[in-house]
Amino acid sequence: MRIAAIAILAVMPLAGQGLPVTYERLVKADQEPGNWLTYSNSYNSWRFSRLDQINTQTVKNLQVKWLFQARHQEKFETTPLVVDGIMYLTRPENDVFALDAETGRVLWTYSHKNPERTYNCCGRVNRGLAILGNRLFMNTLDMHVIAIDAKSGRELWKTEIFDYTASGGYAATGAPLAVKDKVIVGMAGGEHSISGFLDAYDAATGRHLWRFHTIPQPGEPNFGTWAGDSWKTGGVATWNNGSYDPETNTVYWGTSNPWPDYNGDSRAGDNLYSCSILALDADTGKLKWHYQLTPHDTHDWDATQIPILLDAQFRGRPRKLMAWAARNGFYYLLDRNTGEFLRAKNFVRQTWAKGFDDKGRPQVIPGNDPTPEGIDTVFPGVDGGANWMSHSYSPLTRLLYVFAREERRVFTKNEIRHAAEGNNAAPTGLAAIGIVSDGTGAGRGGRGAGSPPNNGVFGAGGNLPPGAAGAGRGRVRFAPEESWGKVVAIDPLSGDTQWEHKVLSPPWGGVMATAGNLVFGGTVEGVVFALDARTGERLWHFSANDRVYAAPISFLANGKQYVSLAVGDVLVTFGL
Amino acid sequence: MICLLVLAPPLCAQDRVNRFDTPEGVQQGNALFQVHCTYCHGARGEGGRGADLTTGRYRRGGSDANLFDTIRNGIPGTEMPVVRATDDEVWKMVAFVKNLGAGEPREKASGDAVAGKAVFQGKGRCTGCHSIGSEGGTLGPDLSDVGRRRNLDYLAESLLRPDADVPVRYRAVAVTTKSGQTITGIRLNEDDISIQLRDEKDNFRSFFKNKLSGMRYDKPSLMPPYGTVLNKKEIDDVVSYLSSLRGVQ
Repeated sequence: MRIAAIAILAVMPLAGQGLPVTYERLVKADQEPGNWLTYSNSYNSWRFSRLDQINTQTVKNLQVKWLFQARHQEKFETTPLVVDGIMYLTRPENDVFALDAETGRVLWTYSHKNPERTYNCCGRVNRGLAILGNRLFMNTLDMHVIAIDAKSGRELWKTEIFDYTASGGYAATGAPLAVKDKVIVGMAGGEHSISGFLDAYDAATGRHLWRFHTIPQPGEPNFGTWAGDSWKTGGVATWNNGSYDPETNTVYWGTSNPWPDYNGDSRAGDNLYSCSILALDADTGKLKWHYQLTPHDTHDWDATQIPILLDAQFRGRPRKLMAWAARNGFYYLLDRNTGEFLRAKNFVRQTWAKGFDDKGRPQVIPGNDPTPEGIDTVFPGVDGGANWMSHSYSPLTRLLYVFAREERRVFTKNEIRHAAEGNNAAPTGLAAIGIVSDGTGAGRGGRGAGSPPNNGVFGAGGNLPPGAAGAGRGRVRFAPEESWGKVVAIDPLSGDTQWEHKVLSPPWGGVMATAGNLVFGGTVEGVVFALDARTGERLWHFSANDRVYAAPISFLANGKQYVSLAVGDVLVTFGL
Repeated sequence: MICLLVLAPPLCAQDRVNRFDTPEGVQQGNALFQVHCTYCHGARGEGGRGADLTTGRYRRGGSDANLFDTIRNGIPGTEMPVVRATDDEVWKMVAFVKNLGAGEPREKASGDAVAGKAVFQGKGRCTGCHSIGSEGGTLGPDLSDVGRRRNLDYLAESLLRPDADVPVRYRAVAVTTKSGQTITGIRLNEDDISIQLRDEKDNFRSFFKNKLSGMRYDKPSLMPPYGTVLNKKEIDDVVSYLSSLRGVQ
């Protein structure tokens, strides 16, 4: 009997239900708690795991089970997908791996080679995949979307999204979002003189289906929110992931800053749809509504966070809501059917708005614009109170978890220079670059391994030291005490902070809440932690000692719960 | 030759003469360096995440053309990226970077370097914390080539007001244990769980934060201000001595 049982196990496939991952499965992703089927685990983007083997009682026994050594030097921002025992993940730049989720052993690989020169602002990174049917989808730095057979790693189709060298240069770094029979694809380049959009492609063939221009074209509504010809190169990228409401067939997606980032002189007006939340019909790409978080932004406060969709009673009636903790430092609650502004409250220090009118337009406080000599009294800082890092919502605690940044930085306004003005082919201009202390000298894992080295940021100013345009001994490296990170638990309905858990440095990682009443995340120093979701108390940690630029996931393999998080260039997987 | 006749020097791929190797070019290169390079190489090229650029030695070659290529193209396989700037801007950065590692002082110190060395080793007791060559302490930065890296004003300020600019790797911290013991030293590393330091007796120390009752960073440098220890001539002499330190030749 024993031999027979072993024999049966030996021929069992690694996966359970396995492929294909139908659209219906994606809609009901919460019924497959052992899998992680989309970037944020579900269309509502809660990044919540319904697994509870690892919980507030057992988490003390959590230990490393396996490592995936990615062997690269770029930031490892991936969110893996897991389908019934098989993990799919991207490695910078655009390599895809299928792993046995229980052991981390590689099953197949796919590699896309990018040109030597690409136009990514912030590292040659990739954040992950989408899956639909038997296909995985990946965006590339050279502006392609690729379909890969999830069983073999074979390329099925490759479609060019846009000429990656055009204007200031385009890139695609985010994970796609697979919806119905389509793949929704965003793009990056808001630091350059580009013109942004969101695209949809036929998942089966790669055929282009629709494009929503994030800057209105001549004759379209809100075209007049850009002065002169500034609309032609106004930036407004869509570089992160979005959410989807199957009941209304609506895609929700955030947009980036207008260009030039820190100098709005040439683009008077609100600059729609920059720094905005878009609600689009998934079939046509038609705009249902928009809400602009930061009109005429001059601080690079992208609205590229991932929308959290939740349904709740609000002011006496059931509402379909959207919770959004923004880079500009405010937490927003909107009605996601109408875009109606319901509430906003800051979750980090902010100096730029004294409140909001009834329509949700911020009442801006004068004196916060970037200056040629640099201004360091504006909060939040250049990288915002939140950024691209994933937030999480737990239906058990009914709290929204945000890994937030409290940070003093310098905003500097520089001259505007377009790509064509350089004396060579490269786009040019003084750059915005995130500069923080490297603190410990601990190399890549060191304190404040925050913003990446500049790989071509063509804004007009940014976090430059006073005097950078000439002589002077200005500093951008503020003391460690002047910046820190915190996991904030926000009541999404009231906007009130329930608790905060402070960490040493402003983070670049996201968080994941679980049914075990835990919140997982990792710091830039490489401390992987689990907090009590109800109190913020740290219950467990692991010193992985390298930078975290990713958010955790959780899944089942062979019936056991695991948690994975990219740390440094290693995907670390923990289990009991 | 055709190239030279047709194009201005910096624009010609064949001609690698840096016409921005001028004081103005260096100054403009400094501004560009602050934008593109300081995150990894430090505000003065002292290094950190990236290489120390003040040594005058570069792994990819130190000629103008070498430096141009390194900045323009990055170093494949490393974290040194392509720097997106115009050719003129790259040449200006080349001028500035070369100036960082210039072998000869561009300023003339007024003090007596020989007398300054005696003060440094004697009355100033500087070798207790700073090393030159293979001798000296490790609580402060190695000064073997500080004259190559720092100008006279900076050196004088460092003596008179040590807190004015402390390299992050030499930032002082005082930790107090729950048993009431306070240990002061240089912070070597820190995360949310623990902190590592080199104490004033040059011992490595590591503390779990949950075993501490407090941590203080309010005095950035362990170095005493020397304005009350040395007279003006002695300060000038030490500055002159430090400025003469150009590293291993």
